[in-house]
Amino acid sequence: MVARETNPNFMNGVPELLILKLLQQDEMYGYEIVQAIRDRTGAVIAIGEGVVYPVLHGLERDGALRARRKTVNGRSRIYYSVTSRGKRRLADLSQNWVNLKNAIQTMLTGGQHVDAIP
Amino acid sequence: MSTRFHELRERLLRAGVAPRRVRRYLGELTDHFADLTAEEQHAGRSLSEAQSAALARLGKAEDLAQALIERSRFRSWCARAPWAMFGFGPLILLGAAYLVACLYLWCGWNFFLPGTDTPFGPPVAPTYSFANIYFQAGKFYYYSAPILVGWIIGIIAARQRLKAIWPVLGLGLIVWMGATAQVHASRSAVAGYGHISTEFFLLGHSSPTLSATLFSTFVLFAFSMLPYLVWRSRRTFVGTLTLVWGLF
Repeated sequence: MVARETNPNFMNGVPELLILKLLQQDEMYGYEIVQAIRDRTGAVIAIGEGVVYPVLHGLERDGALRARRKTVNGRSRIYYSVTSRGKRRLADLSQNWVNLKNAIQTMLTGGQHVDAIP
Repeated sequence: MSTRFHELRERLLRAGVAPRRVRRYLGELTDHFADLTAEEQHAGRSLSEAQSAALARLGKAEDLAQALIERSRFRSWCARAPWAMFGFGPLILLGAAYLVACLYLWCGWNFFLPGTDTPFGPPVAPTYSFANIYFQAGKFYYYSAPILVGWIIGIIAARQRLKAIWPVLGLGLIVWMGATAQVHASRSAVAGYGHISTEFFLLGHSSPTLSATLFSTFVLFAFSMLPYLVWRSRRTFVGTLTLVWGLF
């Protein structure tokens, strides 16, 4: 039997994708990131606010994000920005997501099945 | 750091998450909580309402803990391989400390006592001379090294909320190594340079040596366990106090 790559959890990688996309434009700290996700997705995607930090730490550990402490208005915060590795990861995640979306769209509109994952 | 996340911190540490990661996570959560509280207050809520709303938005303690615990790469090495950290680590550390002690002794021997066959003879300098102070400092370092390593083990185990078996194992090995350590020094007949060697883990055969080793074992164990025992009893005391306070 030929092994196929599967998507066991459709939400897998979505927080990473959204965070990388946001941080591609500007560096932000955790609270700003959560607010931006809520605002830009019209509150359709609401991730547990505190749960964003393990995702950020994981991306930083993978070298996809860079963290630095910055004091703004007398408050010291950890700001995150995307690295070149993070940009490559964003491109991969975006491509996977587009493929998945197209596959689901095809299913919903009753079209022929297409390979979601190249 | 806010005491608000005390329970979360304990849970993460007990699950083996590295203390540095826990500190950073809780620091960010505390900042986030402050921002959420300010936002809710700005929306017209009272402080207590704003704090409740902020906590709800931040997420349940269970979810906050699980989000970090499920990422196994954030676990500390002490949690991943305690047998290595408390079995080999302390021995390597103490071995390195003894190596430094031997180098220190060799330097002092060649500098202050170049003509003698051993650095362990009767003092050849006045009590308050630099040479005497040098050798006394070396002796102090040599005898306190196992205790210091034991304290390090105890502090690491306490910080990571490890089961008592691991620090006790590490301390046992350290004490055994420290109590049986013996330094030998002799002057080579050919080159004339001092030669220093150390041996460990061997019990003396004669009865005075054996009793001295046992006494050293007892003293070293008592002193090196001290910080860990203090921490354990303090935790027990605070836990009991909290329980009693809760009853009333």
